[in-house]
Amino acid sequence: MTSQTSSVGAAVPAGGRSAPAGRTRRAFGQTTAGYLFLAPWLIGFFGLTLGPALASLWLSFTNYDLLQSPTFIGTANYVRIATADPKFAAAMKVTFLYVILSVPLKLVFALLVAMAFNRGIRGLPLYRAIFYLPSLLGTSVAIAVLWRQLFAADGLVNAALANFGIIGPSWISNPNYSLYTLVVLSVWQFGSPMIIFLAGLRQIPTDMYEAASLDGASRTRQFFKITLPLLTPVIFFNFVIQTIDAFKAFTPAFIISEGTGGPINSTLFYTLYLYQEAFGFFRMGYASALAWILVIIIAIFTAFSFLSARYWVHYDD
Amino acid sequence: MSDFRIDRRTLIKSSAAALALSAFGARPLFAQDQRLRFIWWGSQERADRTNKAIAAYREINPGLTVDGEFVGWSDYWTRLATQVAGRNAPDLIQMDYRYIFEYARRGALMPLDEYVGNALQISDFGQNNIDAGKVDGKLYGINLGVNSSAALYDAAAWEAAGATPPSKAVTWDQFAENCAAFAKGNKKSNFYATADASGLEPSFELWLRQQGKALYNADGKVGYEPKDAAAWFAYWGEIRKAGGCVTPDIQALDTLTIETNPLTTGYAATGFAHSNQYVGYQALNKSKLVISSYPVREGGQPGHYYKPSMLLSLSAGTQAADAAVKLANFLVADATGVNILGVERGVPASDAMRAQLASSLDETSKAMVDYIADIEDVVGALPPPPPKGAGEIAFALTRISQEVAFEAKTAEEGGEQLVVEATSILERA
Repeated sequence: MTSQTSSVGAAVPAGGRSAPAGRTRRAFGQTTAGYLFLAPWLIGFFGLTLGPALASLWLSFTNYDLLQSPTFIGTANYVRIATADPKFAAAMKVTFLYVILSVPLKLVFALLVAMAFNRGIRGLPLYRAIFYLPSLLGTSVAIAVLWRQLFAADGLVNAALANFGIIGPSWISNPNYSLYTLVVLSVWQFGSPMIIFLAGLRQIPTDMYEAASLDGASRTRQFFKITLPLLTPVIFFNFVIQTIDAFKAFTPAFIISEGTGGPINSTLFYTLYLYQEAFGFFRMGYASALAWILVIIIAIFTAFSFLSARYWVHYDD
Repeated sequence: MSDFRIDRRTLIKSSAAALALSAFGARPLFAQDQRLRFIWWGSQERADRTNKAIAAYREINPGLTVDGEFVGWSDYWTRLATQVAGRNAPDLIQMDYRYIFEYARRGALMPLDEYVGNALQISDFGQNNIDAGKVDGKLYGINLGVNSSAALYDAAAWEAAGATPPSKAVTWDQFAENCAAFAKGNKKSNFYATADASGLEPSFELWLRQQGKALYNADGKVGYEPKDAAAWFAYWGEIRKAGGCVTPDIQALDTLTIETNPLTTGYAATGFAHSNQYVGYQALNKSKLVISSYPVREGGQPGHYYKPSMLLSLSAGTQAADAAVKLANFLVADATGVNILGVERGVPASDAMRAQLASSLDETSKAMVDYIADIEDVVGALPPPPPKGAGEIAFALTRISQEVAFEAKTAEEGGEQLVVEATSILERA
């Protein structure tokens, strides 16, 4: 940093205002400049993330309907959530089912695709980009709308099934299937774990495989004895990130059920329920309490993941 | 040019200056120009008509700019509440009978009484139509149109199936038989006589009113019993069993918009809506639609009522009240404005406006005006405004109707559940 500064300073004509003026002043100037450059992020973090988060913590102990000022009601919101809210229970059930189904399926799928790519296909960068595309689009409104069309009563999926003489239901509006269409949508967005898996696979030294095949280990055996153990740090990373993402999923359920979480609460994701309470029924205090409970759930889940990592994640060193 | 150099500090200072400038730069350059913000919910059709009316008004008031904003019904209340909470409410607000009490009593709206008779010419609206915009004796909402619930049907489809469509000469029992007859005569696959109205709040309300009951009584409590709701679910259960109404997974696609109603999506020959939406429905449906009253109850009471389809309110914090009232008056009491808006928001409350409008109406709009006049003998009194939490109960009705339709609950359990949930929501609100 110092060498850079002096070279810039040297470009200024002698006698200019930025002539050297003592170490402290210069250091002070540098600090100020540093903070100025940080300012966009700092303002964003304090103004748009930390501030609202703390405000929501306070609001979670109040009754607030947007039009009137919040009134403090102690822990009443939390008590109600824990003891007298059937929709909270429904939302928890839907969300946990979604997390438990979508995360492992997505990781397995991503790993399979990554392994196929790792065999050295020609034009790999192109394929990689194409297969990554759904992840870029997946959380967008357009794809959720597309999904609605695909799985509707007269959608593409049923048109395909009709060729085999099967008359399919309206998948997205049937409570027996609607959640699974969302799981499929999530698995389809396997791109980002796939890229990370691919990078992880590349790290595994090829001489290990050579040695193993010389010793007569089959491909399956190589996968379970070499690939999988050496990949565990990457699997762990993907698992944690994807789980957190799945807990926070909102857009697909919001678009596909048009914000209702229906039919019969079958797609009532936790975040969707939170949104309904906040912006549908104007219970901002209650919704804030729900949000903090989600934070705690995710924190507990992540903590358990890290604790369990000691038993199954192998770090090389 | 060699002595033109930018060092790091100059760069930082000038960027800071630019930043500061831009923060103050967002002000209008010409202070004498007036700016109004106007927010409403509705379809593209409504937006086109409203924007055209605003443009016509600006031709005679060139100093004025109007920023129109529109969203769908379900997002509308979110946006409005957020704007009001942020002290950033638009000057002109399209308001609904369901919410006007809440907003007016919390001081979010401006009383308009002082303008009546001068800037606001609404004396020929009829007392009922004016009173529908009053809260605690003060006027907070200007009637934008009169409507009522209605059944819309595809006449050709009913005829092809050889069955009798709904009308005020048909009882609910006959309607159920007619739907079954439709199912027998109909040749199209995946096509049914009617949408499933068991989860629709206005339909349920109308059915209750015909029995002398109500969704909510005057003190804001649930106005029916579990067995009433159970009978309603059971009635639709019979029609469903006979193949007379759409299957539950098709009905679940209906999110209470014109675009998603089974009538528009081509699964049903009949849909239920508000009469002013007839224009919007006809615009989206290829086949000719007929507007009709709901079925009636033998020896029952009138179920329909005339309702302000929507109201126009001023934000309490508006800085341009006079200009906003003038624009409002243009939309409801000036022939130019009224003729552009037509009857898409409902039939104009003003006698004079309705009379002069008649000649310029197209066939659909005319049928709607006639419908409003025609149902007079099945129209009863305007019910009291729904209590806080009514919107959430309407959601619950839809969900429970689905549980019954998908056979997760019996009609009796559904009726029980609805009253329990409605009561608990009202207690909480």
